[in-house]
Amino acid sequence: MPKAQLFITCLGDQFYTSTLQNMTHLLERLGVELTFPPEQTCCGQPLFNNGFEDKTRPVALNFMHAFAKSDAPIIGPSGSCVSMVKHHYPSLFREGTPEHALAVDIASRTFEFTEYLVNVLKVTDVGAVYPHKVTYHASCHYLREMGLKTEAKALLNNIKNLEFVQLNEEETCCGFGGAFTVTYPEVSRSMMENKVKHIIASGADTVVTCEPGCLMNVAGGLHKAGSKIRAMHIVDLLSSKEELV
Amino acid sequence: MTNPVIENIRRSLGRTDLTPLSLRPAIYEPRHPESVDSEIARFLDEIKKLSGVGQELSPSDIDSSLKTLVAEQNIRKATVWETPHLKQLGITEILNSLGVDLVSPNADKHEVALCDLGITEADYLLAETGTLVLKSSTEKPRAVSLLPRIHLAIVRPEMLRADMHQVFAEAKDGNYLVFITGPSRTADIELTVTLGVHGPKNLHVWMTDT
Amino acid sequence: MSQDTHPYIGFEEYSEHVPPSIPLAVQQATSRFVGGRAARVAELPQWEQLRQIGSDIRQHTIENMDVYLTLLEEKVVAAGGHVHWAETAEDARRIVLQIAKENNVKNVVKSKSMATEEIELNHALEAAGIEALETDLGEYIIQLAGTGPSHIIVPAVHLKKEEIAALFSEKLDIDAPTDPIELARIAREVLREKFLNAEMGISGGNFLIAETGTLVMVTNEGNGRMCTTMPDLHVAVVGIDKVVPDWESLTVFLKLLARSATGQKLSTYTQFITGPRRAEGEFGPKEFHLVLLDNGRSKILKDPIGRDVLKCIRCGACANVCPVYKNVGGFAYGSFISGPIGAILSPQMLGTQAARELPYASTLCGACADVCPVKIPIPTILRHLRRRVAEGDAFAIPTISTPIRATANLASLALAQNWIYRLGARLLPIINPFFRKNNWLSNMPYPLNRWTKVRPLPPFGARFRKWWNVRSTKETESPR
Repeated sequence: MPKAQLFITCLGDQFYTSTLQNMTHLLERLGVELTFPPEQTCCGQPLFNNGFEDKTRPVALNFMHAFAKSDAPIIGPSGSCVSMVKHHYPSLFREGTPEHALAVDIASRTFEFTEYLVNVLKVTDVGAVYPHKVTYHASCHYLREMGLKTEAKALLNNIKNLEFVQLNEEETCCGFGGAFTVTYPEVSRSMMENKVKHIIASGADTVVTCEPGCLMNVAGGLHKAGSKIRAMHIVDLLSSKEELV
Repeated sequence: MTNPVIENIRRSLGRTDLTPLSLRPAIYEPRHPESVDSEIARFLDEIKKLSGVGQELSPSDIDSSLKTLVAEQNIRKATVWETPHLKQLGITEILNSLGVDLVSPNADKHEVALCDLGITEADYLLAETGTLVLKSSTEKPRAVSLLPRIHLAIVRPEMLRADMHQVFAEAKDGNYLVFITGPSRTADIELTVTLGVHGPKNLHVWMTDT
Repeated sequence: MSQDTHPYIGFEEYSEHVPPSIPLAVQQATSRFVGGRAARVAELPQWEQLRQIGSDIRQHTIENMDVYLTLLEEKVVAAGGHVHWAETAEDARRIVLQIAKENNVKNVVKSKSMATEEIELNHALEAAGIEALETDLGEYIIQLAGTGPSHIIVPAVHLKKEEIAALFSEKLDIDAPTDPIELARIAREVLREKFLNAEMGISGGNFLIAETGTLVMVTNEGNGRMCTTMPDLHVAVVGIDKVVPDWESLTVFLKLLARSATGQKLSTYTQFITGPRRAEGEFGPKEFHLVLLDNGRSKILKDPIGRDVLKCIRCGACANVCPVYKNVGGFAYGSFISGPIGAILSPQMLGTQAARELPYASTLCGACADVCPVKIPIPTILRHLRRRVAEGDAFAIPTISTPIRATANLASLALAQNWIYRLGARLLPIINPFFRKNNWLSNMPYPLNRWTKVRPLPPFGARFRKWWNVRSTKETESPR
């Protein structure tokens, strides 16, 4: 029975408890034995991406120590958070130090959720049902830093009764960019409104994404625009058993 | 012996001598030409796509084609490269007989600027992009393909080269080369494509056999 | 324009005051160029290979810049040209003015050159009583309008044809129609006289071929040819980073440049100029001067990560795909160069005090890196420069604002000491009722107001840890 550790992400922790619960149930249903190290807080990406490398180090160390207690793979529902660990943690520490070795080890066994499902468990059909029109927003780090170009769609493809509609400018940034939303709020606004406009124009009643950050941004934007379109994390969509009435 | 800029560069790179650190990386393989006929067809098609006017002619058609061009484009003054081939074709004589004023291609720029038509050959042709490659010399003055509003290039298949690599290998030691790919254009005003901003507005290319 | 003297670039402020017409116009240009580029890339199955080779050659060149520049100088001089080395912008202006003075120049025609904008050459010429006319149509228009460029390739795209007609009418004392074709014709007529009468032509350069001392100019309108063919004097101001080893290398860049910039296979005119004319009858300048501009480039070379910016071939493809640039246009970047490349060049050239906001003018989405023809890792350099601003490095002390540094300190502490974080997570839901409306939080106080003024926040609700604990306890108590 495969083992894995849950990496819940700081945004997931604060705002998306039900998504995390769904992720837990889904993975367990697929036969994964899960543990949850409670010392985890945040991967440190907001600090790192804004140039605070020295201040990121203690945060990264906290993360690594939390997940070092087990040697099981680490799974997180966020491409950007996972990318932080995989691609940037080793660079935070000097080569030859034990911290660097630990970072390399942790990096090698951290996976994004859809990556784990499709590329490790080799599963693309989890028996989900969602009889609605769905469009997909490809999050930037998930797409470009993690290189996950087909996994999300492979999973969406197998959701029963789901009608997929292509989002115009699917790969254009939604304007979240982490701290960017509070560094340049007006530019973030323009970008978010552009994404919302395309989502509404797609004719979908649901937009799905693989990033809690994009989700927060887009869901809030859709609400502000008075739209009834649901914004969901792919974990929640994959957990759906909504039968046709 | 060197200057402050080179000194700065050396200091930044941590270098003490001039030896290149490594060989220049290898370049991609050049293109291999298809048949001459397909190259000619490709070349003329590209010219058309660029809003130029290209046609295949035999030398005996030049007379009538020039007549048509002069009439259609209201040519009153023209200037012509005095190259052996264009002399052999009798271009200036034909233009004279059509009542067109000839201006010497080496005349003062103000004179050449008054010409409606400039006639050149080409030193090389690139089929892939519909490009004319022109050298510069007293016999082949630069202004002829630049100042008049219509540029006519009378070219031959033997000028075709497979790609830039070949052209460069042959022409790199000259003092001037210009690639002409279509008539002058801009999209600076509201992205509306406009031809003939400063360079020629009309580009005509006549492909003749030798 | 140099370090310590450049005015502060307030990207946040500038970006908040962009008239909506600018992003609209810019987006029309960018979508045209992106479409064109995509079509040209699809035609070339070897595109990715070309990018890699282009990147490798640029890398090699900047690592051997002294060698190639030395060879370049030797060859230009051998071809009868003059080479001048300008360590600073001031040096470059002085050199050009000196050449003008020595030759009694009263009228200059200028071909589009970002290097001359960088050194603010026009002001210097005008101050010396020399008329310096931009001849590229877009540059001519913005010179008349007195503004900077909104886009690298089409600098006047933000102006409507009616505005341009009004501008021409006012400045040229005519009654200009609003038809773009007619406006271009007017510009052609006005500028033709200038080309024929100017004593000096000033240009930039796209590449400098070290092998033979050749200046390469990539243009579309013909003004580049005019400026470098009609006057007796040609002065080219070119950044030292434009040097390429040889003609073979150049083939790669010529294949990459126009395709990346506008979606053309080749620009209309590509000129290869080696020294002055050799005979009077061929036209062309009697004298050729090459001003090699450093202005901080040699210092940028010292930084192994930042110096990748010197690989840039100024195609503008990065700007065309940048969602930030497309929403604010070129002016918000506060310098002669905008978009992603501007965000990594200006802080290195102008310093991280004046340009400290620019490395943050990005969501690090990475779209630029995907299209850069020479594979400049722009997001990596953006992070690298953010580091310089936030914590300082070997090249500069930190310049980040105190409130931001304080926030980062706090965040680092709370996220590293997990008991603080976990306590905070338990406490945060307490504030929900004060701001809750329709299952969202709005109108929150500083600093969260910067989020909620744009869109609402989900309510704080960290319940997973408790749920997990309860669940684990239940499982241990009643095993399956």
